[in-house]
Amino acid sequence: MNRGTEMELMRLLHGGLSPDRERELRARLEREPELAAAWTRLQRTWSGLELPPPAPVPPGFAQRVAARAQEQAGGTSWSTAPGWVRAAATAALVTGIALGAGAGLWSGKQAPSGQASEEQTSFATTSESLFDDNLAESYWSALDELGDRP
Amino acid sequence: MGTETGRAAADPGWDALARVAAGETDAFAELVASHQERLLRLCERLLADAEEARDAAQEVFLKMFRKAGDVRPQGQVYTWLYRIAVNHCLNKLRRRRLVRFLRWEDPADDADAPPFDPPDTAPGPAAALEARRRWGATRRAIARLPAGQRAVLILARFEGLSYRQIAEVLGITEGAVESRLFRAMRRIEAAQETGSLHVSPREGRR
Repeated sequence: MNRGTEMELMRLLHGGLSPDRERELRARLEREPELAAAWTRLQRTWSGLELPPPAPVPPGFAQRVAARAQEQAGGTSWSTAPGWVRAAATAALVTGIALGAGAGLWSGKQAPSGQASEEQTSFATTSESLFDDNLAESYWSALDELGDRP
Repeated sequence: MGTETGRAAADPGWDALARVAAGETDAFAELVASHQERLLRLCERLLADAEEARDAAQEVFLKMFRKAGDVRPQGQVYTWLYRIAVNHCLNKLRRRRLVRFLRWEDPADDADAPPFDPPDTAPGPAAALEARRRWGATRRAIARLPAGQRAVLILARFEGLSYRQIAEVLGITEGAVESRLFRAMRRIEAAQETGSLHVSPREGRR
């Protein structure tokens, strides 16, 4: 069975086939055991996919969100800056860190070994925490914003 | 295009959004109230965690608030909201995978995903256990899918969206939707056949 037929079975399952095409495919299912077996397998997989009922909406959710929006509207903050501003700032920060790392490594080669490793450890700790908290968050948020354009 | 415009005009959500842009906070609260249920549900299904879903849905609504003045009415408001929500949740999932990759862990493994503790809604203990096993298997199956396929599968299977609606939400063609759904189902079937999802034959038949 070719991929096209399997995709048609998916459409049959999902309700996206035209009535004529659906009639034709159902007639083929009667005649072709291999196709009928694939159809049964597909239906079984599809109906076997189940998730628990979603959690109820927390009481006062809409009011809390509206209050947050009011807060944000009242002032400017990093989170309300346009996506491109945040992306540019993040890129500048990454460049700065990369340059800093390069300089650190270069000076590490010049300094006595004990001192260099201490400096490098301290730099690594600082850069790790930056990546962990603000930087990664800003990067992903900026990407979110860029991808949401209607 | 004429149909699109007609549909846009028919959705009162765009008027509400215009009022939000004009500074009417009541209109924003109304919009949140009318979309919160389906948006929270979508985020929970994508992230597999109710608490994270609440944070994500809040972020999505705040984005809607910030962008209310920029958006051009096209299609339905919920389609646009779904798009923001799917992007937001998929980025969260990619972040999770990146963190696992950086820790030298299997990026597709859901071992450090939030604990799975769905509510018991089945009538008896045996049925409840059975239901939890099915839900767990589905959750594992979905967690192993690439982000794009996961989104399509959830929108098709659990949100009941048509290919066309999914294409609108994800900004891809109907053909791409069909192809992603096909590949997602193939992967799930293969995983079920090898038993890696721990789906018993009895669960599969249900």
